Amino acid sequence: MSESEKPSQIGKNRSDESQPLILPGIHRYQFFTNLKDRGWTLNLDRVALFGIVSALLATTVKPLLRGNPATIYCYECRACYATQDRCPVGISLQAELVVAGRALDYDRFIRNGGLKCVRCGNCQSFCVQYLPLPRMFEIMQQETRQAILAGIVPQESLIQGLQQGLIGKEFIDDVVKAIS
Amino acid sequence: MEFLGFITLGIFIVLMLLTLFGYIRTPVQTVLVLSTVLCLIVGGVFRFVAYGWDSVVLLPNEFLGGIILHPITALLTGLFLAGGLKASGGFDALKAILGYLRRSPIGLVGTLVILINLPVISSLPCGRILAAALLPLLFTFGFEGGLGILSKSQLIVLIGAFTRNSMGSCGPSPIGGVGQIAEGFLGSFFPTASDGILRAPQAFALMLGTAVVALFLKFVSQKLYPNDVALRNAPEGFDIGKNSETQVKAPIKGFIALAIFVTSLLIAIFQPLGKMPVQSVLVTGALLMILICRIRLNDLLEGIILLPVTAMAAGFLAAGALAATGGFTALASMLNSLVSIKALGVAGMLAIFVQFQTILPLSCARILTAALVPTLYLFGPAQFNFLSWSQLAIVMAAYIINATTSCGPSPLGGGGMMGEGTMRAETGFIKGAYTFASMAVMAPMAAIFMKFLNLSVFQPTDPRFARDIIMIGAFAIAIAGVNVFFIFLGSKIFSPDASKNFWIQLVGFLFSGAIGGGILAFALFELEPTKILQGALGGIIAAALIGLMVPKMLSKRLTATLSGPNV
Repeated sequence: MSESEKPSQIGKNRSDESQPLILPGIHRYQFFTNLKDRGWTLNLDRVALFGIVSALLATTVKPLLRGNPATIYCYECRACYATQDRCPVGISLQAELVVAGRALDYDRFIRNGGLKCVRCGNCQSFCVQYLPLPRMFEIMQQETRQAILAGIVPQESLIQGLQQGLIGKEFIDDVVKAIS
Repeated sequence: MEFLGFITLGIFIVLMLLTLFGYIRTPVQTVLVLSTVLCLIVGGVFRFVAYGWDSVVLLPNEFLGGIILHPITALLTGLFLAGGLKASGGFDALKAILGYLRRSPIGLVGTLVILINLPVISSLPCGRILAAALLPLLFTFGFEGGLGILSKSQLIVLIGAFTRNSMGSCGPSPIGGVGQIAEGFLGSFFPTASDGILRAPQAFALMLGTAVVALFLKFVSQKLYPNDVALRNAPEGFDIGKNSETQVKAPIKGFIALAIFVTSLLIAIFQPLGKMPVQSVLVTGALLMILICRIRLNDLLEGIILLPVTAMAAGFLAAGALAATGGFTALASMLNSLVSIKALGVAGMLAIFVQFQTILPLSCARILTAALVPTLYLFGPAQFNFLSWSQLAIVMAAYIINATTSCGPSPLGGGGMMGEGTMRAETGFIKGAYTFASMAVMAPMAAIFMKFLNLSVFQPTDPRFARDIIMIGAFAIAIAGVNVFFIFLGSKIFSPDASKNFWIQLVGFLFSGAIGGGILAFALFELEPTKILQGALGGIIAAALIGLMVPKMLSKRLTATLSGPNV
């Protein structure tokens, strides 16, 4: 065997059959991605990375452009859930409304009672960063109202919201109009 | 639409399993994005048929809601600071301080113990921040790093234990840690939960688990895989004791940078200047480093590690797509149906549930935690009524510590790989220790701590405090004792026969899983034999899934790649 054909010392260790390979719970050699083995996926990798960066940019830029930048700072720690019965309209998952506001997710906002929020500010004192939750919810309420009037919000969300009492009185007319 | 959830959940799990078992060999980010795209396509088709085009148009907004920005930005800013520290000589300053500490009464061992537990002491929102900063420093403790204080074997234990402690410190972090997600949900009943109801159980379990990891690395990993670590031993005649007296000198700007780093961390954690995002504090610290220590912006940028950032973001995308298409609802319904199996019941199902993230370890705990904690919450009085609020808090404690430590053993770009890289080990060298400690020590210990200390109400005249402390101490000794016994036993009976070792280790995992599940059931239902047996069975199933979530042998192609001359 010529010098170039001899396996390296590392290779010898790795191919030593007397050495145990993989034992329970030990993720040995898993996620071994030799670059030459995934040459055919290089473009896929690039597209994926582009997708990730685009998604991050969209998540950050969208709230800025829509005037709701405070939603970016939410830790999503859910400390606001401690509001409990101090919320006069019984919203229990306030962080969901913040995320819905950031992502512009109308269905999530309505489902979690965003349209019945009266912006009293009781939940704000529980926020570990004292984010302006009432203001954030108000902006999203207006966004949702416009989306409802434009017919973008699916009818099912609105019907369910009405049935479950999740629509505040200031939005009832718009919702009924959109459904009818 | 319920059917859709099962399809998308199936897509996600199949893709993850194919990646874990090495059939798909692309970076995890690509697989997660692929899963996202497939779920969205299937979801889009279903929605178009069921609700029309408007519903499809809103789907991207819904899955983008899965991205949690805080850990991504906190990690980036933390890595900024780590880069600044490196460029300004902050690590040399830290070495010098450690040198003084070594010569103090606490000595070398005491200094190293503090160093190993530094991540849980500082509790940052992502363990990678401190790991990126300090792992290069730990490497210098060996012969190759220059200081020559520790032997190869000691360095392996030090780096492995430190990385374990780091990849779990995001749990008790009060500045946007993973544990806060569960604390938030518990806040629905316990008014002060978000003040940190889960922090102490997690920190305690993490410290105990770190110690067990150190023993596992010393007595199991190094014995089974003696050739997996490429670190060099000191040459013969090299006197470690003599060399340890070497004085390390650091530039003054290094000390200033270190002071800025520590002050930033303290301000972020204790918030003496009022409530502000941790990112703002860390960026201010980085700017101060530029101004005072005269470092360049490029130095800060060099500190950034892209893999965890992109893997985390891709994981959130995949989780968002699953949530938007009902995948997590399907998962909850599957777990819920386990309760109806008599041999498992609630105790057995929960014993599996708390280990779920170690069964399927992803690059960041938040990916699944953000979806599974709401599911767990529904098992309580909020919906299914399987558990009371107190019992729910106990399960949360066990689940969260298991979840937050799952990025350590993750082969999909997990934080443990940073430790393996630093110790020049093959991928997977330290992961067995991590999965074992998470499953067998940390989850049951956190449950016991929660039950006996955090959920007890103490009165000055109430003697329960002393009793409960004794109970925790007794359980800690029992849990750690049994597992340390298994580790020692394993180290004695492991042989050169790989298939025999496979069965020895599997049996050890199953025993430890049974004990862990049984203790969780005891913490929840106290002395109910049926429940304890159900918990033990659930623990065995979880341990089997954790243990066997690896290919027993490498594929022919991978073996050829590993052993061929082209490696």
